[in-house]
Order: sequence, then C-alpha cells, then structure tokens
Amino acid sequence: MQNTSPTNPAPIIVAQFVHKWYGQFNVLRGVSLSVYPGEVVVIMGPSGSGKSTLIRTFNALEDYQQGTITIDGITISDDIKHIDRIRQEVGMVFQQFNLFPHLTVLENVTLAPMWVRKRSKAQAEAEAMQLLERVGILTQARKYPGQLSGGQQQRVAIARALAMQPKIMLFDEPTSALDPEMVREVLEVMKSLAGSGMTMVVVTHEVGFAREVADRIVLMDSGLLVEEANPIDFFQHPKEERTRQFLAQIL
Amino acid sequence: MKNPPASAPPPAIDRSPVRWLRQNLFNTWYNGILTLILGGFILQVFVAGLTWIATKARWAVISENLPLLLVGRYPAEQSWRLWLVLLLAIGLPVSIWGGKRRRSPGVGWIYAFCAMIGISWLLGGGFGLVPVENSLWNGLLLTLLAASLSTVLAFPLGVLLALGRQSSLPILRIACTIYIELVRGLPLIGILFMAQFLLPLLLPGDWRLDRLARAIAGLILFNAAYLAETVRGGLQSLPRGQIEAAKVLGLSAPLRLWLIVLPQAIRMVIPAIVGQFISLFKDTSLLALFALAELTGIARSVLAQPDFIGRYAEVYLFIGLIYWIVCFTLSQVSRQLEVRD
Ligand SMILES: Nc1ncnc2c1ncn2[C@@H]1O[C@H](COP(=O)(O)OP(=O)(O)O)[C@@H](O)[C@H]1O
Ligand SMILES: [Mg+2]
Repeated sequence: MQNTSPTNPAPIIVAQFVHKWYGQFNVLRGVSLSVYPGEVVVIMGPSGSGKSTLIRTFNALEDYQQGTITIDGITISDDIKHIDRIRQEVGMVFQQFNLFPHLTVLENVTLAPMWVRKRSKAQAEAEAMQLLERVGILTQARKYPGQLSGGQQQRVAIARALAMQPKIMLFDEPTSALDPEMVREVLEVMKSLAGSGMTMVVVTHEVGFAREVADRIVLMDSGLLVEEANPIDFFQHPKEERTRQFLAQIL
Repeated sequence: MKNPPASAPPPAIDRSPVRWLRQNLFNTWYNGILTLILGGFILQVFVAGLTWIATKARWAVISENLPLLLVGRYPAEQSWRLWLVLLLAIGLPVSIWGGKRRRSPGVGWIYAFCAMIGISWLLGGGFGLVPVENSLWNGLLLTLLAASLSTVLAFPLGVLLALGRQSSLPILRIACTIYIELVRGLPLIGILFMAQFLLPLLLPGDWRLDRLARAIAGLILFNAAYLAETVRGGLQSLPRGQIEAAKVLGLSAPLRLWLIVLPQAIRMVIPAIVGQFISLFKDTSLLALFALAELTGIARSVLAQPDFIGRYAEVYLFIGLIYWIVCFTLSQVSRQLEVRD
C-alpha cells in the first residue's frame, strides 16, 4: 500500500486483514486500510457492502473476529479502558444525527467535555459556542434539536463530536438523511474541517465532495476493498472492472 | 378554468341545538326511543339523588367530623408538619423530572436528597420536633401520605428492577424477572397481608416496623413491580442510535445510563406513572383492613359514633367525592403532560 502522505510517515489508523461475521455472514472479508494524519479518505461502494460496519469497527461500536485495528498506537481489543480512550480520540457523525432530544443544542455539545474530559461548565460552554459559531449554529444554541432542520441538526452533531477534540473524525453517510437543499451546508462544514487538517474517514455517495476533498478514495464491495486511488485516478482511470460498474451507476 | 378558484370560506354549519338534537339523538326512530328511555332514567336518578341530598340526608355527620376525615387526630398545632411533608413530596417528582426547562439535573437531585431528609425529620420527629405517634395520622392526609410516600419510594426500586431485568448478568436478570412476575401475579391485598405478617419474620429482629410502615412497605413492593414494567417499556423504546451516540462521545456505561437513557426513558413514561399513582391512591383504601384509619378507615370509625349510626350514604358519598376529586385532578394533570410533548 502506498504512503500518500509523505510528511507524516506513521499512519494513525491501521486496519490489517480485518474479518467480521454476523452469524454465518462474512461482512468484512479481510480489509486492510491505513489512514495517515491529516488525510481525508472517502469510502464509496454499493449499499450493504460493509462500509458502515468497517468504520464502526474503528471506534469499537462493532467488534471484529480476526485481524487487528490500531488507532493512534492503541490496538482495539475487548479491554474497556482502551475502548474508552479510543472513543475519546475518534469522533463520529451518524446518518441519523442522533442528537440527544432532551438536551439543548448547547448541552448536547458540552455534555461529553464536562463529564468525560472534566471541563468546567463555563469553559465547556465557551468552547461549545466557538464550535457552534464555526458550524453556523450559534443563534440556535438554546433550542432543542427537535426545533432545528436536518441540516442544522447534522452541523450540531459535527460540533458535538469536535468538542471532544478528537484526532480522527468518522462520517457515516452524513448527508444521506437530508433534504437536497441542506446537503450543501453540511458538506461545506466538512470541507472546512478537512481544510483545517483533521483526519477524516467519510462514507458518502457525494461525488463532488469526494472529487474535491478526498486525498484517497476506496471502493468497497462485498466486504472487500476493491480499489484504492486518488480522486483523479479513481474517477478517470479506474483499474478495476468493479469500480467501472459502480461509477457507471452513480455518475 | 385559467385561474385556480380563490380559496373560499368553509360552508356555514348550522349549530343550533335543535339541529344537534335531531342529528345525534333522534336521527332514527329506534335512536329516538332509546334517547327517551335513557333520558327518563337519568332524569329519575338525578332528581331522586338531588332530592335525597337536599332533603333527607343529614350532613351533620360530615360537618362535625370534617377535620377528622381530613387530617384525623393529628394534633392540630402540629398539622403544619404534615402539609409541609406533602408539599415536599409533591416537589420530588416535579423537581427531578419536571419539564424540559431544567438546566442542571444536579439541582433536582440535591433537592430530592434534602426533601427526603426533611420528610423523615418532619414525620419522625426528634431534633426539636415532638414525635407524633403515627396511630394519630388519619383520614385523607394518611391516604395522600401513604400513596405519595409509596410511589416516591417505589420509584427508585422500580427503575432498578427495570434495569436489572435488562441486565446482561443472568442471575440479576432472572432474579428481577421472577420478582416482577411474581408480584404482578398476586392481588394487592395478598401482598399487604404478607407485608403485615411475613415482613417482621424476614427482617432482622431489631428492625421493628410498625403497622403503618409495613403497610407502606407492601404498597412499595407492589408498586415497584408495575413501575418496573412501565420503565422497561420506556427503555425499550429508546432508539439504539442514542446509546451509540453516547458511546462514541466516550461516555462510560454508568454515565450513558444516567445522562442519556434514564432521563429519556422516564420522561416517556411520566403519564403512565401518574396513572399508576391514581390507582395506587384508590388502592390505599385497602389499608382500612389493617385498622389503619386512612380515609376509608376513618369513615368507618365515624360511622361507629353513637350519634351517627346508620349514616352510611352520607359518609360514603362524601369520601367517594374526595377520591374522585383527587383522581380526576391527577388525570387532568397527566393529560396536560401528554399534550405538551
Ligand atoms: N446487526 C447486524 N446483524 C446482521 N447483519 C447485519 C447487521 N448490520 C449489518 N448487517 C449486514 O451487513 C451488511 C453490511 O452492512 P453495512 O455495513 O451497514 O453496509 P453499508 O454501510 O455498506 O450499506 C449488510 O448486508 C447488512 O445487512
Ligand atoms: Mg451504511
């Protein structure tokens, strides 16, 4: 596998020959992937190919049966202490936002810094307000998630994840549940996050975003990584027949 | 048509009472007959009832015993303590789960803690307050006290049972399931008898609970099983994404439970909990069987007064009215809670 980020030789995510089964069903069939600090890796592929499952193994939301996954030097095992530490370094944004409906926007963002990082309330709120400003939700800070549009909720979810100051951000189809007119505002936030040097692994079908922001695109199919390339090669000179089929469907 | 028609006002509806009668009560010949028969019957009962209330009933039994029915023989100069207890107890659920406006849940729990201490002090006496023997606590006050105390105390037990029933530890899960299903399969009266006669045998010798405490313990044990099932319903209806979101933020299992799962699950079941309180409130009338003079019990002792022998109708009508007022008020409150969400 080529090192696409020459300035940072040590990868921050290393997955090696990862296998996972749901009962008899082999969802991940030996996936190996390295992600370097500051890199944006986009995972594409047909529905059901195991994209969500793969990135959910990166923060131990899913376990795996064979292979190893190492996040920033810590190997994911059953050890609860390790899992908690890894989760503090890896933020995640879901397709369905999953904001806490009983808490205000501000409380959603300050909750984990206060309870996990032991920030004082004042400090957590100050940091939260900065983040909310960054994602353009500042004026809605005292509202409840149910009072916001989908695009606004997803931006709050990004701010909530960032509040833990993660080294890595995982996105699982962050715009798939949004009305078309709200997709852009979320992609803009993600683009600026990528510009700030965040390490990102993004599952998405947004071709424009992948072309413009990704350092690398991988195609996943039936639990395997089929192709791995930079955006230009991926879209213009795909090596694999499977990639050509996939591109023919989505372009 | 080139332009869509301008939006027109809805057609006027004839709302006259004559039309309403014709449409709803006399729209067919058999509905008309039914209306006349039922109407006559209701009128008969109503007139007879009112006539009795106004002419034959002797209300002296109520007016002379009013304080007794409401606060019993609790010393009048001490009765402020009971009202204070009641206030504190009502404040408990309000402070902890009250509305969405609460900014920090910690304040609610601090209040709850202080209120519990306050309640124990006011009831138990000592530290400057004279102890009032609890055989003097009677009437509506005792009914309210027994119902609210047992709901408030059953609540944490019910939540623990609900969590235990979902636990991944088999022993805990099985124990909680057995308890819940056992209690739900028994009549309350049976549980109350067991609390009276079995509890003293099971508790260590120096734990001498009096009759009232044992009765309340029975209500708690009974109510907790039902609360557990209600709360479990709330736990199960929580979307999986909520727990995942809490996990990926690095919140530990106890924090996930405390900050994310329980507040949402319990908020979902508040109306059901109020409903349960209403039935518990009525069920406290069973305490009369153990010579505890709550509302029903004190009514029976009023009926034993030589002056008022045989005044059953007046007394039971009056306490029925009190039960109804309390229950109706609570069910309205609970409906408001449901509407708001
Ligand atoms: N909890 C589960 N139990 C059994 N099968 C599952 C579970 N979650 C996902 N799968 C299956 O695993 C496959 C991969 O799912 P997923 O990772 O969600 O795919 P993608 O995100 O690429 O659409 C799908 O066929 C799905 O049906
Ligand atoms: Mg998916």
